[in-house]
Amino acid sequence: MAMRSQVYEWDCAGATATALIGTKTSIFIGGAGNNITKPAETSATQFIVIEDVGVTPSEYLSNSNITAYRGLILASGNEVAGPRAYLQVTINTTDYFLDPDGIGSDGVPGTAAPYPKSTFFQGNFNLYPDVYVLPGQTFDIGVTCYNVSGLSGTVAKGELQAFVKYTLYDGPDALIANKLLEMGVSVNPGNVDWYKRSLLSGQ
Amino acid sequence: MAMRSQVYEWSAVAGNSARGRASGAAGGTTLAADTDLSIFIGGQGNNITKPAETTATQFIVIEDVACSPQLEGAVQVRINTTDYFQNPDVTDQAGVPGLASPYPRGAPLPKAGALGNTADVSTSVLPSFTLYPSIYVLPGQTFDVLYRSGVGVATSDAVACFVKYTLYDGPDALIANKLLEMGITVNPNNVDWYKRSLLEGGMA
Repeated sequence: MAMRSQVYEWDCAGATATALIGTKTSIFIGGAGNNITKPAETSATQFIVIEDVGVTPSEYLSNSNITAYRGLILASGNEVAGPRAYLQVTINTTDYFLDPDGIGSDGVPGTAAPYPKSTFFQGNFNLYPDVYVLPGQTFDIGVTCYNVSGLSGTVAKGELQAFVKYTLYDGPDALIANKLLEMGVSVNPGNVDWYKRSLLSGQ
Repeated sequence: MAMRSQVYEWSAVAGNSARGRASGAAGGTTLAADTDLSIFIGGQGNNITKPAETTATQFIVIEDVACSPQLEGAVQVRINTTDYFQNPDVTDQAGVPGLASPYPRGAPLPKAGALGNTADVSTSVLPSFTLYPSIYVLPGQTFDVLYRSGVGVATSDAVACFVKYTLYDGPDALIANKLLEMGITVNPNNVDWYKRSLLEGGMA
């Protein structure tokens, strides 16, 4: 099992909504919702490729006169349904998503990369090229939301979620992943297998 | 990280500022009908600190543009001073309609005859448009993305635009330029292919 498809789902249930607004909250160690025991990192013999990210979507409306919108909370008088959430990937201390002026942004909007995807929210974004986490690096995924009216006072299950899909390469496969990176070849299971075959056929 | 998938979302919501986003209250933008508004530096909604441009060592490929389908919204890309989407008679147009490239995909369909103000939330708008071939922003060029509403945007409306692009930086930007000279589409796969062919040539 040297290449493993992995997922992580975060649900912010139980957190206080006002404490989340305008602040980037780590989905791994942010202290809200489900967390892991230590910051996410790769060892010297691991290589991670983040292939997909998603966060609860929102919708921008005009003259809305409804109070419930496609499973999202829409407060009276508001034109934005849902938490208005964004997701940023940070490698060591560097944010991956930047604005066109080169300044770190909030990240991918949930409206563009929704989790879960549905017929109403199909997503405008796919994470390609993928994000590589090299051996020895730490990585984090932060969620920032802005619409307190799109959340309950104490966040309920399913109101603010995030999702990450990644592939973990371990041991010899991590070495091959590094080699592929040096060669300028995309790191994916197909290319790792191709490299192994080419080594075997060269013997 | 010399090739990076990047996004920019603009939204007209009350309280948005140059660097900040705000809550869900409406009242962010008043835009007259058929008026272009830069989503980067237009002074309405969230903006960035300077016009979007590439340095001498950057190459940008814009792969998707989309906007809210209501209010007859449309989105146009401008490279330096030239609008990308034109009418067949080479006159100006609003750009890609939000009905053709909706943000989000699956947004509610504006009801016919209601100037797009009222939505049928049971019906979703799916994209009729794909930005292919993609739009290249060469090193040293400025670019802008413009939002236009056919009926205007009132303070009771919330609208949004979305841009997806890939930023090639440093050596990868040089390779992107080389691919362009060769007439090959600039995408991550082809940049990787060119690197491999360089390595194979070096090893031979």
